[in-house]
Amino acid sequence: MHEERTPTAVVADDERLMREQIVSRLKEAWPELAVVGEAANGREAVALVRSREPDIAFLDIRMPEMDGIEAARAIAGAAHVVFVTAYDEYAIRAFDEGAVDYLLKPADPERVALACRRLRERLGAQPPAMDALLAELSRRLAGGGTARREYLRWVQASVGAAIRMIPTADILFFRAEDKYTRVRTEGFEALIRKPIKELAEELDPDEFWQIHRATLVRVDAVEQVGRDARGHQVVTVKGSPEKLEVSRSFSHRFRQM
Amino acid sequence: MTPSEGTRQNLRELRDTAAELWWRFFDWLAVVPWKTLAIVSILVMILGGILQSPEPFIILIIASFIIKAVAGGKHSAELRASQALQRAEKEGLERTAAEAHLAALQAQIEPHFLFNTLASIDQLILTDPPRASRMQQSLIRYLRSAMPRMRDGERPTLGQQLELSRAFLEIMAVRMEERLQVAVGVPEGLRSAAFPSMMLQTLVENAIRHGLEPKAGGGRLEIGAEIVDGRLAVHVKDDGVGFSPKAGGGVGLANIRERLKAMHRGRAELVVSVPAEGGTCATILVPYEVAAPRG
Repeated sequence: MHEERTPTAVVADDERLMREQIVSRLKEAWPELAVVGEAANGREAVALVRSREPDIAFLDIRMPEMDGIEAARAIAGAAHVVFVTAYDEYAIRAFDEGAVDYLLKPADPERVALACRRLRERLGAQPPAMDALLAELSRRLAGGGTARREYLRWVQASVGAAIRMIPTADILFFRAEDKYTRVRTEGFEALIRKPIKELAEELDPDEFWQIHRATLVRVDAVEQVGRDARGHQVVTVKGSPEKLEVSRSFSHRFRQM
Repeated sequence: MTPSEGTRQNLRELRDTAAELWWRFFDWLAVVPWKTLAIVSILVMILGGILQSPEPFIILIIASFIIKAVAGGKHSAELRASQALQRAEKEGLERTAAEAHLAALQAQIEPHFLFNTLASIDQLILTDPPRASRMQQSLIRYLRSAMPRMRDGERPTLGQQLELSRAFLEIMAVRMEERLQVAVGVPEGLRSAAFPSMMLQTLVENAIRHGLEPKAGGGRLEIGAEIVDGRLAVHVKDDGVGFSPKAGGGVGLANIRERLKAMHRGRAELVVSVPAEGGTCATILVPYEVAAPRG
């Protein structure tokens, strides 16, 4: 009984033409396969797999809302997955182990036929575990190498009536002031709500140094380290006349300078 | 030419030659080591002895020593100035080379875009051949104008850059269908303004790739240009998912900032803002100059 059931599939891609292409190639390569639904993003794909319970899900890797990899993680075990991608050089090598197949766009009819033959053999069995592969794929798509921490590169601030994204490379220093944090660039000043403590955690520690409980300074902008009349260590930065005090607990940072 | 005119010209030439010889002597004095000057002086004295009239030679030698003492300082200052000039020229060249390198980097065509577009054309060939042909034409126009052009010194104009982005957007409109609406508001008169290559395109690609494509319903992309305080302001605005403050991987914007710095020092900038209605608005401000037509 079970063997006679028509095999089913869903196809997910954010571009209609691409879904059309996969569907028509599948029709040529595997006429008995019934495409029971199409999705335009990862979330829709997951919902379709849950409602239609297809044997196979063709998932584009890059999709809005939820990408193909996240979608595959969500439907793990419920369907056999075939990934579809236009170009992901790093990611593709992750498939070489072979438990999960992939197709390149534009889909080559012979390659689709091969994928269909493999799928037919696997249909009787449980969909393979993909955890390791998905983890590897996410890692490769994130940058192809070791997982690097992403630091804050832009700061959102109100400048006049507008909300601007200021690149951290333009910022001379951050200073805590009452409820706000003052951001100083060569051209202007702005206030942001993010406290120094949070900024210190999110900024690249090689780009910004904390020199005081209330002050973060961009290392490359430091012009001079000296002492004021009271003997406190102070820092001046290029493009600003302000002297920034270095508290004793942070003064070791400048010893090697 | 009258004889008096001829004489005057001969005199002028004589004076120029004398002046040149004097300055050459002056320069020689300034750079010659004291030791060499002393040896030459002795030789000149001997010559004066042989000629039996040493006084003019002695005066010449004393004058030379005084000139050398005074001119040495001036000369070394000149030398420093010329070295500084050379350095500035070299830095200028390095900047131009760096800018060319950055521009070439920016002009790289995103493989994902290329293969997806080819796949779409492939599908349209079967289902809608005239549309496939139009899309391929757009792709050809895009590729042709995106190829880095280093050889000709022609300054790119806003009009050219706009055509390039238009070809790109035509392709994206076929692919994204109702998920992409495009509005272009660039006054005809600003199309001849000089505008750096591939910058508008980078903003447009960012708006699509990071703003609208990740949004399930897609959205609207707007290109506009105006003159603000004597500068040309070109903006690309989208109502997509919004700017990520951790967009450090986005080399595109960093590249634009570097290039603007290299080309215009402090007179050009990239401003990224968040419109009240959400999404992202990126504006490039450059000095307003009409690209000189090539004669």
